[in-house]
Formats: sequence, C-alpha cells, structure tokens
Amino acid sequence: MNNYLDLSILEIHNLLKEKKIKPLDLVMEAFERIEEKKELNVFITLCKEEAIKKAKELEEKDVDNILFGIPVAIKDNISTKDIRTTCASKMLENYIPLYNATVIDKINEKNMIIIGKTNMDEFAMGSTSRTSYFGPPLNAVDKTRIAGGSSGGSASAVAAHLIPISLGSDTGGSIRQPASYNGIVGMKPTYGSISRYGLVAFASSLDQIGPMSRNVYENALFLNTLIGKDEKDLTTTDRVEDFTRYIGEDIKGMKIGVPEYFMKEDVNPEIKNHVEKIISMLKEHGATVEYITIDYIENAVTLYQIIAMGEASSNLARFDGIRYGYASGDREDLDMFYKKTRAEGFGEEVKRRIMVGSYLLSGENAEIYYNKALSIRDDIKKSFEKAFANYDLIIGPTTTTTAYKLTDDLDNPIKAFLDDILVIPVNMAGLPGMSIPIGKDETNLPIGLHIIGNFFEEAIMYKLAAFIETELKKIGEGK
Amino acid sequence: MDTYKLTAGIEVHCELKSKTKMFSDSLNEYHSAPNCNINAIDLAYPGVLPSVNMYGIELALKAALLLNCQIQKRMYFDRKNYFYPDLPKGYQITQARTPIGTDGYVEIMVNDQKKRIRIHDIHIEEDTCKNTHLDTCSLLDFNRSGVPLIEIVTEPDIKSDEEAMLYLEKLRELLLYADISDCKIEEGSMRCDVNVSVSKTDILGIRTETKNVGSIRNVGLVIESEKERQISLLENGETIREETRRYDEKTNQTILMRVKETGNDYRYFPEPDIPPVTLEDTYIEAVKKSLPVMPDERRELYKRAGIQNVNIEKIIQNKMISDYLMDLNHINLVIASNLLLGDVSFYLNKHSKSLWDVAMSKENFESLVTLLDTSKMSSKQVKEILPEILEKNTDVNEILKRDGMTQVTDKTFIKQIVDIVLKENPDSVLEYQSGKDRASKYLMGQVMKQSKGKVNPAIANEILIDTLNRL
Amino acid sequence: MNNLSEKDVKHVADLARIYIKEEEIPKYMVNLQSLLNEVDKIKDIKGYDDEMLITPVNHETIPRKDEMKETLTFQEVSYLAPKVSGNYIEVPVMIHE
Repeated sequence: MNNYLDLSILEIHNLLKEKKIKPLDLVMEAFERIEEKKELNVFITLCKEEAIKKAKELEEKDVDNILFGIPVAIKDNISTKDIRTTCASKMLENYIPLYNATVIDKINEKNMIIIGKTNMDEFAMGSTSRTSYFGPPLNAVDKTRIAGGSSGGSASAVAAHLIPISLGSDTGGSIRQPASYNGIVGMKPTYGSISRYGLVAFASSLDQIGPMSRNVYENALFLNTLIGKDEKDLTTTDRVEDFTRYIGEDIKGMKIGVPEYFMKEDVNPEIKNHVEKIISMLKEHGATVEYITIDYIENAVTLYQIIAMGEASSNLARFDGIRYGYASGDREDLDMFYKKTRAEGFGEEVKRRIMVGSYLLSGENAEIYYNKALSIRDDIKKSFEKAFANYDLIIGPTTTTTAYKLTDDLDNPIKAFLDDILVIPVNMAGLPGMSIPIGKDETNLPIGLHIIGNFFEEAIMYKLAAFIETELKKIGEGK
Repeated sequence: MDTYKLTAGIEVHCELKSKTKMFSDSLNEYHSAPNCNINAIDLAYPGVLPSVNMYGIELALKAALLLNCQIQKRMYFDRKNYFYPDLPKGYQITQARTPIGTDGYVEIMVNDQKKRIRIHDIHIEEDTCKNTHLDTCSLLDFNRSGVPLIEIVTEPDIKSDEEAMLYLEKLRELLLYADISDCKIEEGSMRCDVNVSVSKTDILGIRTETKNVGSIRNVGLVIESEKERQISLLENGETIREETRRYDEKTNQTILMRVKETGNDYRYFPEPDIPPVTLEDTYIEAVKKSLPVMPDERRELYKRAGIQNVNIEKIIQNKMISDYLMDLNHINLVIASNLLLGDVSFYLNKHSKSLWDVAMSKENFESLVTLLDTSKMSSKQVKEILPEILEKNTDVNEILKRDGMTQVTDKTFIKQIVDIVLKENPDSVLEYQSGKDRASKYLMGQVMKQSKGKVNPAIANEILIDTLNRL
Repeated sequence: MNNLSEKDVKHVADLARIYIKEEEIPKYMVNLQSLLNEVDKIKDIKGYDDEMLITPVNHETIPRKDEMKETLTFQEVSYLAPKVSGNYIEVPVMIHE
C-alpha cells in the first residue's frame, strides 16, 4: 500500500505534476483507507464509482492547480447533484439532489475528487454527531470518544488521514469544535464569504461552510477556492484573495486579546494550561497579549438557542413528505400526514428544536425572544467591534473539555449547547473563527486553540495560526 | 334598520407582469401545461436560497407610486410561516414590517364628488402553487409557486357596495395602464378579499372576511348580502363572529368557511436570507418618470379633443386603443378614435389580432385619418382599403393614385361633386337642357377633374345624367 | 414561560406539525422545559440599544435581472416526489378543517 495520503497537498501536487502518480492512485488509496477504518463510521455515502471515473478523466487533463486531483470529503448537508445528500436524517435517507451547491461547482472547477459524504449530527443539530440517523462517527484519535459535531465525520476523516481535506459547516461551532476534538485545523470564515446555496439550512443567519484540513496552509489554500460572490446567495460578499499571503511572516507587534470569559473556571485546567503556554510563546516572540472583556459574550448561548431554534423551525418546515424525502404511509388526512411524516422522519434532537423554535416565534413570543435576541446579537457584534479597534486577533481555547466518551451525557438536551459555549459568540457576530491543534491532554486527546479575527481578516488569522503551528513543531507539540 | 352604517375594507392581491418569478428565475407563466415552469427554488429543495427580481420591485414601486404611497426606501422581507401543501417552503416571503408603500390613497368619484379611499399599505410577496382538490387527494401544480404578487390593503373607508366597485375599477385601471398586472379576476391574477362590518355607532362592528371574490360586481353583491346578514343577526339579538366566509354566486350569499382562531399564528420573523433592499431617490424618480399617462389624464385629453363621453369610456376600457391614440400626432382624434373603435376593431376582432401585430404604420394611419378629415376620402372608401393597409401597410396615398378612379363608388360623395360641378357650370347645364349632348361630356370631365380622378366614371356618369334630367 | 403544561406541549407539537404520542408527552414536558428555562435568560439581558441584527452582512441585496435561467422538468421532479399523479404531485386531502 502506498502512503501518498500522508503527504502534504503540495507534495502530492508535485508528484501529480511530475506524472509520478495519477489521481486514481490517490482515489484508490483513499478507499482502501476508508475500508480499513470502516469502524470510524465517518462516511454516510461513498462515491467510489464516480470518484474513479473522475480520476480517470483527469488523466487526460493538465495538472493546472494545486488542488487538482486531491480527494475531498463533503459534509452531508451540502447538496451534491446525483449523490445522495441525507443530512444524516431518515427524512432524507433516499434523497438524491437535482442540483449542486455552489461550493461543489467550485470544487469541480478545480478538479478535486469528491470521495464521499460525511457523517454529522442530524441536520447539523448537535455537538457530538451522535444525533446522526446513521450512528455516530468516532473520534479519529480515540474510538471510544465523540468526534464532536456537528461536522464530526468531516473532522475525523481528515484526522484519520482518509482524505487530506474536507468541507464542514458551522452554525455554532460545528467546524471548530470537532476540529479541536480531532486535532485538525478548521476554519469558519466571515459570514457571507462562502455561498450557502446548496447548504441545507439549519439557521440561515448563522450557517457558514468552511474548510477542514490537517494543517494551516492547506486550509488557507482550500479557502481561496471557496470564497466569492454568488448570485444565488444574496448574503455573499464579493471577495477574491490569497489567504496564504501572510503565512510565514513573524508576529512581532501583533496585538492579541484574550477574553477573560474564555479562560474562566469551567475550562478544563489542562486546556487552560496549554493556552497559557501559547500566550507565553506569543509574548516571547514580540506579540502583545492582554486579557480583555467583551460585553455579552456570556449571553451568546442563550441568543444562539433562540435564533438557531427559531430559524430552524422555519427552515425545516419544507420537510413535509410532499416533494421529496420521507413520507408517512398514513395518507388519509393531510394534517395527520404532515405530523406523522415529521414525527417519523425527524430524530429526537431535531423535533425538540423545531418545537421549541416554533414556540419562540409564536404570537408575542417573537417579540419577547426572537427580536430581543436579534437586538442583543447586534450588541455582541458591536462589542466585538470595540475589541477589534484595539486588537488584531482574539484567542482562547476552542472547547472547555477534550472529546468525551460516546456514552456521556446522552440525555441532556442542554449539553449540546454548552459544548460550544466558547465558539458560539463568533457566529453571533458573523466573525471568522478557527481552531488549530496546540497539543494533547494527559490522555493524549487533542486540545484546540480558538482564533477569532475581525471581519474579512482570515489572512491574519492564518498568519498567527501558521506561526503557532511552526513553533509547536519545533518543540514537537501540536500533532 | 336604516341607522346601521356599513364599513368595508378590501385586500387585493395582484400578480405582477414580470418575465420570471419574484424570488426565483423560472418563468412567471402558469396557464401552460402543469409543472413545466419550475425550478429547485419553486419546489423548495433543501439548500436553495431566494434571489430578488429587480423588475418585480420596479412594478411594485410603480403601484405604490400610483397609489400615492409613502415609499419605504429601505425594505426588509419577512417570513410568514404556516403549513399548507401549496406553500412549498412552509413559509411565504412577504413584507410584514417594511411594506414598499404605506399611507396612500385612490381617488374615486361618488355621485360627482371626489372621495379618497385610503391605502393602508402595499407589499410584495410570492404566490402559492395551484392546488386542485379531488375527492381523495389534491394535485399540486408548482408553476404558480413564487409568482410575484402585490397585496394592496385599504383602510376601512368604503361605505357602500358602489364605492367598493368604483374603488376596484379604479385600481384595476391604474394597474392595467401602468402595465403592472393584467388584473384578470376570472383567471386569478387579481383576487379580492372583502372585510365587512356594520355598526350603529362610530365604533366599528366585528368584521367578517369574504375570501377570493370572483368579480368586481360580486364584490358589490358580497357587501350588500353581508350587510343584510349582519344586520339581521344583530336585530335578532345575536352577535357577529370574526370569521372567514366565501361567496356563493348561485344563492347570492356568503357561506361560512371557518371561524377565525384567536389571531392566526403565522410566526413572522425577518427573512435572514435577504439583506435589505434600498431604493435610491434617483431610482424612485426614474421609475416615477417612466409611468405612462394614466386614465384620468387621458380622459381630460380626449374630452378636449372633442371625443364624446361614451367613446371616451370605450377607449379607456380598451388600453390598446388608448395607447395607440396617445402616440398619434396632429390629427383629428375624433376621427381617429371612431376609426379605431369601429372598422379597425372590427377587423382586429375578426382576425384575433392586436394593433401591435398588424403591418400598418402609425404614419400611414395618420395619413388615412387626415384624408378622411379633409374629405379626400369617404368612410366607405376607407372601409374598403383598410384591410390592405392593416395587412400590408400600403401607403394610402399610393392606393389613391393606384386605384382612386375605381375606388370612389360612394353615391352621396359623387352626388356632392356633381352638384358642385353643375353649380359652377350653369352655361353647360343650359346647353345640355337645349339638347346638346356634348355638354354632358364636358360636365363629366369636370366631375372627374373635381374629384381628382377618384370617382367611378360609370357611376358618376349615371348620377350626372340623372341629376341633369331632374333639374 | 414558567411551567409547561401538557396542553402547551400539545400546542407546540401542533404548531410544528409533529405527531407525539400520549406517552411521549411527559418526556417532552421535561426536555422542552429545560430548553425553555435556558432561553428565558434572554429576559434579564439589558442591551446597549434596540437595534436588531437580522443578518451579519453589511451589504444590501443586489436584485437580479428579470431573466429566466434554470428550470427542471417534471420528470426529474417526479423521481423525488413520494407520490405523483399524472403531471402533478399528489397530496392527501384535509379532512378536519
């Protein structure tokens, strides 16, 4: 067996360019590895036939870009034409889309090869990927533990070296938290950077697609191809840039804030310790690191619950058994047909959130809960803006704990939200946030550092992330 | 009984005449085969997002301007959530908080008095899909799903069935003339919901809503029958319930559909997929300038041109003719309108054509009118050559030259010329009467000369001799 | 919302068009209650101002031209629809208004 998939994307690219390997070699290796690590349960659907066909087609083409021929995995809430897209739900168990998400078109333009659709929390609702109708994906580092969520499959697949790179989506930490749990790099860019057209909506004003990779450079590289204005998504921003451009620069003079809230007592001491070490390291290299306060970030989870559940209750109303998806066999009465279809097609977590979301928007509640949440949300954004007037970046731990046991806290409806307490504020403001691995706890579980940038300043985040990555490599940590 | 005062308000939904739908780019056309103008957005496939049709905004803005509304310069959209098979997303995109127009009015003439019906608001939304109910199931056609709509909501200013009908006629006229909607109630592109209440005091009574009334005339009937029904309920000591009703044409009565729940729970919230739409002042001005001359102004114009009232209304009712007239220059509009309402319309109806798809040019039509106006051509003559002009656009003056002689067979016209010639040539008349045949030939030559060779010589000769013999 | 009643749970399930069995009600009462207790915290938060953030983006909508682009055929659509009748998608009728 070859080990091309352990190489960096740049190394693979050079081999492809020099015709030392073919895209098919990569594809076959990926499927071998997936088969070997089947028990990780990271894929819901594999596209072996299509991938092989594509790889063969690529043999006739010029290796014209660095992502050419690179195998990629796609979170299963991103619409892929002719490839089943389930959102890890019984509701869409047999749904084969008629159209591609805009990001899929972009990936195809670069001639990347889609290997499969990754496991996740049902409709991205959860923080462990355990709400998947197809059973949970496992943590790549420790199979007895959660992969995190909701992009658990995308994170674990990259961490297990099944594929070099993947796409996730992040509504309240769903890229960054599993990235942290699996020891990889995950970026949720500024809201509006990547088209959401074709991303099955959970909470429209929070959802954002983002790249997940083994290292910082490859993450930036992938982001380059994903961003840009899309006529089909009115919330997209017109931007073209090279996110790798500051990678390798030193960080002298950089001003970094650490919100006190991010380092409070609920954070596991080992994690805190690792973050503090990073802080010292950054100071040693000439950065200013200061503790700061950011108003309202402690309220972010409450806002998130209201906004995400409210929007979800509306976004998921379309799953009614009429045009696609699961339909109840009870067709006698329309009302009962709706209710049975949705009761049978959705899992518990989803039902709970839709019910609460409907309640939060009903009658006067819309004013009391939803509109109030939007108003405080605006205040969070403003308080972040205040912080960014003085600091280039904000850092802290990504999670309060490392990946926990698959069997822990199964019946706690609040736990899913608390797992994301440190990453949710970013979605509230629409800011970019990323997680990078900074070491392991004493049970060898990965710890992530959360980096938050100002709007559209992902390039500066990558600069810091790459710097930390390089420094940690020197002392043998971070991997 | 007479002391009860009627109050009505009307909600009108109009489909906009855009090429594509409001939030998706499939065709706005649903009278063709079922489910052929549909795309992923119209079917609310997972992951799709709305786009906003610029022309839909423009048409709605035109309507808001015509209804004298305050224009919302920064518009948001909202989601109205409810479950029904004709609503694929489970929510309708509408404008609940920031309608494009508010506080407008429509002016109507009631008993020769101007009255304003105030417009509460006009907002943009999307149509539902078509749902055909059978006994055991319903069938869905998504062609109409997402068709642009405007909803126009009046204040409760309507005090009689007559006012309601006048308001709707006026509204329809405005929307038709600005090319905003084709306003075909029968086909559903204009739909009326009527709110009616009665009260003996100035405090409004409890209202009922009658949905989807099928014609303007029926709106009047609904108001009358609802008024009577409500009064008789109150007279019998009963109370009015807030309910939704429908109109049954056969019995001329409204029928209960459902009692309104305590406030429909539509769970409105701001649509996060559509950032605000800003209407710049310069844009609003440009749209205002692009509005065509509206019916009332046209009426004035026609009146000044001397067209009779009956014909003015006929013209206004036929927008094609009215638009055609608006484009004509320096000609007799009375003659032009008579021609258009008469012979031209006859031809168009017969051939199912419109003025826009006949060959006749405006200039040619203008020449024709001028010839009629200056008596250089008879109406009978016009009738004969009209098909050729409409079909081939042959120059009317060419026709005159080409077959003018044979063309004039109008006996009254020829008689007029003969009379003139005889009057001008008393000597020749005397010669004829004295038996000189030569004189009649001379007179015939004068008739031809006078008519510039247009008259039919045989008929002319016959008339000439006849006239001479009767002298 | 202080205490969720059985009736509230049924009402909420109705709003969301989700069928729940009688025996599931107690479970939902507990679970929904714990979520509602969480969201209730919003009531105690005092903001800077009343301005709402509807979408995090700062730009405006750029409307599209009134031009037709992609369409689907009914044949494609019919493969996905659970029940089709001729060129229509079929749905059950409403028995109880």
